[in-house]
Amino acid sequence: MPRSRLIETAGHLSGHLRRTIPAIVLAFCCISCRQERPVNAPAELRNLTDGLGRKVAVKTDPQRIVSLAPNVTEILFAVGLGDRVIAVTSYCDFPEEAKLKEKIGDTLHPNIERIIALKPDLIVISTASQLENLTQKLDELQIPVYVTNPRTVREVITSIRDLGNVAGVKVRATEIADEMERRTSAVERRVKDLPKPRVFYVLQTGPLITAGRKTFINDLINLAGGQSISGEESADYPQYSRETVLARAPEIIVAPASHGTELVREEDLRREFAVTPAIRLNRIVWVDPDLTDRPGPRIVDGLERLAHGLHPESR
Amino acid sequence: MTNLKRMLFEQNFDPSLKMTIRGYLTKRRAMAVMIVLSLALVTGSLCALAVGSEHIAAHQIFAALWAKLIGAAPRLSREQEVIIFGLRVPRIALSLGVGSALAIAGAAFQALLRNPLADPYVLGVSGGAALGSIIAIIVASDVSISRPLFGFAGAAIATVIVYRIGRRDEDPAHLVLAGVVMSTFISSVMVLLTVLADNIKLRNITLWLLGDLSSGSIEGLIFVMVAAVVGTIILMTQSRALNLMMIGERDAFALGVETARVRWIVYLTASLLTGAAVAVGGAIGYVGLVVPHLVRLAAGADNRLVIPASGMVGALLVLLADLVARTALAPRELPTGAITALIGAPVFVYLLIRNRR
Repeated sequence: MPRSRLIETAGHLSGHLRRTIPAIVLAFCCISCRQERPVNAPAELRNLTDGLGRKVAVKTDPQRIVSLAPNVTEILFAVGLGDRVIAVTSYCDFPEEAKLKEKIGDTLHPNIERIIALKPDLIVISTASQLENLTQKLDELQIPVYVTNPRTVREVITSIRDLGNVAGVKVRATEIADEMERRTSAVERRVKDLPKPRVFYVLQTGPLITAGRKTFINDLINLAGGQSISGEESADYPQYSRETVLARAPEIIVAPASHGTELVREEDLRREFAVTPAIRLNRIVWVDPDLTDRPGPRIVDGLERLAHGLHPESR
Repeated sequence: MTNLKRMLFEQNFDPSLKMTIRGYLTKRRAMAVMIVLSLALVTGSLCALAVGSEHIAAHQIFAALWAKLIGAAPRLSREQEVIIFGLRVPRIALSLGVGSALAIAGAAFQALLRNPLADPYVLGVSGGAALGSIIAIIVASDVSISRPLFGFAGAAIATVIVYRIGRRDEDPAHLVLAGVVMSTFISSVMVLLTVLADNIKLRNITLWLLGDLSSGSIEGLIFVMVAAVVGTIILMTQSRALNLMMIGERDAFALGVETARVRWIVYLTASLLTGAAVAVGGAIGYVGLVVPHLVRLAAGADNRLVIPASGMVGALLVLLADLVARTALAPRELPTGAITALIGAPVFVYLLIRNRR
C-alpha cells in the first residue's frame, strides 16, 4: 500500500499546485475569465475530503458521474454538469432532463453491478440515502465515492460549493451558491424583527409524525421566522403526542402538500387540531416537499415560500 | 354429568396444554375473579386518564369527569377538555377494546386447538389483517375507513384459506401448520410490498405494524368494541363445549358435542375478533399468547372463566402498555406493540421455565 499512497500524495501535491496557480491568476482577471481549466487536461487524482470527513481521490475532471440522490442530481444539473451525469436514481425527477438519464434503482437499493459496469469516475451520494454498505463496497473497488452531508440550509449552500470544486466547475457553483446565500439572507433580514409564530410541522397523521431539532424543516422554519413547537426534540422524525400539540397551541400548522399520495389530509388537521389557534384562525401552510425535503438548489425556493406562508404581511 | 366432567378434567387432561388446574370452577370463585379484575380495570382506566404527556391535575380531571356525568359544564380550558375527552378517553376505550379482543381470541384458539402456542399471530389471522391494512395504506390511504375494512377482509380471507387447508377432523395440529405457512407467506408478501411502496409510505407502514392506538377513529373504536362484546358473547355460549373438546374431540363428540359446528363457530369468531383488533389498532403482539396462559395459571382452565377473564386481563395489559407508550418518553410516543412485546416476552419465558419444573 505505501506505493499507491505515495502516488496519491504526489497526485495531490501536483494537483494542489496546478490548482493554486491558475486560481491566483483567475483572482486577478476573474470577471472575463469563464474558462476554468485547459481542455484536454490530463486526468490526475486529487485528494479531497467529503461531507463525512472521508478522504476521496477524485480525477481532476470527472467525465462519468453517477448521482445516487435526487438532491445531488439537482445540484449537478444546476452547476452545468448535466451532460456528464451518466446515471441517476429512479427518484431523480428534476430537472426534466434528469428523467432521461439511465436509472440504476432507487436511493435505497441501487444496482451495484450496473454502477460498476458503467465505469464511473465519480459517484456522489447524499447521507440521506443511508448507503454506508454500498460506500464501503465501492471503496474496496476503488471507485471514488463522494458523500455530501448537509444538515442545514447553509450547509446545502456549502455542499454546492464543495461539489463544484470536486467536479471542476467552481465558478458556476460559486455563482449559484452566492445567489442562494443572498436570497437566504434576504429572507432572514425580512423576518428578523417580526414576532415568531409557534409552528407545528405535520409530516404525517395516522401515527402523528413531526420533525425534530436537527432536520431541514426545522432549520427552514427557524430561518423563515417561525419557532417549531417540536424544535427541541432530539429524534429526527419522532412520533408525537397529540396532547402536547394541543397544549402548546401552535399558531400555524405546516404540512407537506399532496404528492399524488396524501399523507396529510386537510380535514384530518381541521378535525384533530380544531382547538388550536392555527385551525381557529385558518392558518395551514402547505409546502412542496420537493422543495423543502431535498437539500439541493431549490431549497431556497422552499424557504422563500415558507417565509411567505409564516409572514404573509412581510412582502 | 358434572362428576364425569370433573373426573375428565382432573385426570385425563391433555398434558400438552401444561395447564395447572386448581379444582373445579365454583360460582364463588368465578365471581371473585371477575370482581377483582373489574376493580383492576376501573383503577387502571382512571390512572390512564389522569396521566399523559401534558400534566393536568388529577382532581381537576375527576371533577370534570363528574361534571360530565351529571351534565354540568366541566371547568377546564378548551384544550384540556379536548385532551381529556377527545384524546385520552377514546384512546383508553380503544386499548381496552383491542386488548380484550386479542386476548379472548387467543384464549379461544388455545382451547380449540389444544395447543399452548396457538395465538392469532401463529394462525396467520393477524397477518391477513395486517396485509389487508397495508394494501389499504398503499392503494387507498386517503379513505380513512379503508384501513379497518381492508384489514377485516384480509383477516377473513386468511382465516378461510387456513381453515380450508388445515381442516382435519381429529387433528388440530394441521390448522396450526396451515396457519404457520400462511403467516410466513403473508409476511414475505408484506416485506415485498414495503420494499415496493415509496419511501414515505414505508414509515407509515412500519410504525403501524408495531401497533398504534394513537390514531384510531371513532368508527374504528365502535367497530372493535362491538366486535369484542359480540365475540365474547358468542364464545361464552361455546365455552362448555370447548371445555369438553379440550379432552379430545372424539370424546367430546361421544358426550354429545357437535364438534364440527363448535370448531367452525369458535374459529371464525376468534379470527374475526383478531381481524377487528388488528385492523383498528395495528399488529399488537403477545397479548393473545400470554394473557390466556396467565389467566389459566391463576384461575384454572375452565373456559367459562378463562374466556371472559382473558378479555379483562388483555384489556388491562394493553391499557398499561399504552400508558407506558405515551408517557415514558413524552412528548414522544412509542409504538404500543413494542411495549406489549417487552412485557409479554419475559412473562412467557417465565411461564415456560415454571412449567418445566
